[in-house]
Amino acid sequence: MSRSDRTEAALLAAPGVLVLGAVFVLPIAAVLAYGFFRDGVPSLAALDWTSWSRLFADDYYLGLATRTLRLGLVVTLAALLIGYPLAIAIDAAPRRWRTWLVLALLLPLMTSVVVRSFGWLVILGRNGPIVQWLRELDLVDRRFQLAYTETGIAIAMVQVLLPYMVLTLLGVIGQIDRRLLEAARVMGAGWWTALARVTLPLSWPGVVGGSVLVFAVTVGSFITPVLIGGLKLPVLASGIYASAISENDWPMAAVQSVALFAVVLIVLLPYALVTRPARGGVAR
Amino acid sequence: MIGERPFAATVAMLLLLLLVGVFLLAPLAVVAAASLSAGGFLVFPPQGLSLRWYADVWGDPRYVQAAWTSLGLALITVAIAVPLGTAAALSLRRPGALPLRGLWEFLFLSPLVLPAVVLAIGLLILASNLAGGPSKAALVAGHVVIALPYVVRTVTAVLAGVDPATDDAARVMGASAWQRLSMVTLPQAKAGIAAGAVLAFIVSFDDAVLVLFLRAPTLETIPLRIYAGLEFSPDPGVAAVSTCLILLAAVAVGVTDRLLGGKQVVG
Repeated sequence: MSRSDRTEAALLAAPGVLVLGAVFVLPIAAVLAYGFFRDGVPSLAALDWTSWSRLFADDYYLGLATRTLRLGLVVTLAALLIGYPLAIAIDAAPRRWRTWLVLALLLPLMTSVVVRSFGWLVILGRNGPIVQWLRELDLVDRRFQLAYTETGIAIAMVQVLLPYMVLTLLGVIGQIDRRLLEAARVMGAGWWTALARVTLPLSWPGVVGGSVLVFAVTVGSFITPVLIGGLKLPVLASGIYASAISENDWPMAAVQSVALFAVVLIVLLPYALVTRPARGGVAR
Repeated sequence: MIGERPFAATVAMLLLLLLVGVFLLAPLAVVAAASLSAGGFLVFPPQGLSLRWYADVWGDPRYVQAAWTSLGLALITVAIAVPLGTAAALSLRRPGALPLRGLWEFLFLSPLVLPAVVLAIGLLILASNLAGGPSKAALVAGHVVIALPYVVRTVTAVLAGVDPATDDAARVMGASAWQRLSMVTLPQAKAGIAAGAVLAFIVSFDDAVLVLFLRAPTLETIPLRIYAGLEFSPDPGVAAVSTCLILLAAVAVGVTDRLLGGKQVVG
């Protein structure tokens, strides 16, 4: 590696690093500052824990945090349970199908979150097809609806996050050496045995990577919980919005942001440190 | 592969693909269907078929104004994020050329997973302290941050399929750094840059989170109008605008797929 290569790389990286430093790292630092210091002035004298004690003492904020974590876990688990078999099926599909299947996964991902939530509001609402059908079967009463429930939020979120899970899994499953599967079959393993004893263990990095990604995105999401859950089911992200915009209480918004940020980092950092971001996982 | 797949497994897979396909596309299909309603209320299935709500929206100056605002924001975002992201991707290309490469890569890609609300609050705090309140500049800055990782990824994905020896060859032949960049590397990365531009455009055009936190009172974008419509009772006009966004997403997915030839950059 010559010196000019290093200069070249540094010059190419510099604009991105500078811009992200100014409009990404600095804003996050500002949030941290407001989370711990009065008026965001980082000095020992200005250390301020009042918002933190409110966060841990007030049932409202504890409710936000538990709901956020619960949604994160439920959505991640559901995305994994649906996404794993789906990734296996897409991987096994003929080439031409595969393209269309991946495009079907990408379309919801690329559609604005307000539009997707809109669709779910119609489907899950009191006059939506699912509820009407359940009502006709006499399984539920007339007041029943899935919109404005946590189940409704989870259903809508799985739709958005399933693509993340499946695409991460596909990246890993697609790289498994087919000869290993053939070897297993030659040695007498059935199709299911080969799946359980060869594919599953080898795709473990995809399972972990996909789950980390889905969890991180779910706990941070804002629009879907607000629109599908309504005012009665706030999550951390909507609590942040309420504190910052409606109540003009920046320290409280900052404290909730730090909490959310911490949850994401706790899940993400160990994973980012043990995997090479360039191949597979978070960075895929 | 040696050995047949059991019939039951094949059936289960087909069933799964069908069910998940319905699950993924149903919300989009419902919105599109509701937009074709001839009636005045948003119901599914729609009452009668007409395109009147599209004409209605087309003639509504608030929607038209919001569309211009969204378009302007998205184009500015593309103009900034694409050169930045391309340069960033190129800097990461040669292992060993950049000290602390892993750290910079993490920095460039982390906006994908860090919650946008946290970024939004931070930008709001900064804009209020430094510029006296949220502004279009703060919003553009936020959009650049969330769009950048997509450009880095698409360019990286395309260059991963290119032999780096071509760059060395150009050097041996006496090409300057600028000539290698403009005559070798950038043409090689062309498809990735174009795909990155499409994704950056969509990310900015579709954003509803940053704009909710950072909206100046007069600034209204298309997603913000849809959001406001949903908070009250949406009419089929909201569905018509939403359908346009779905079509835009479909075009973006199709174009990026063509450009990248199935290379995976999202997820």
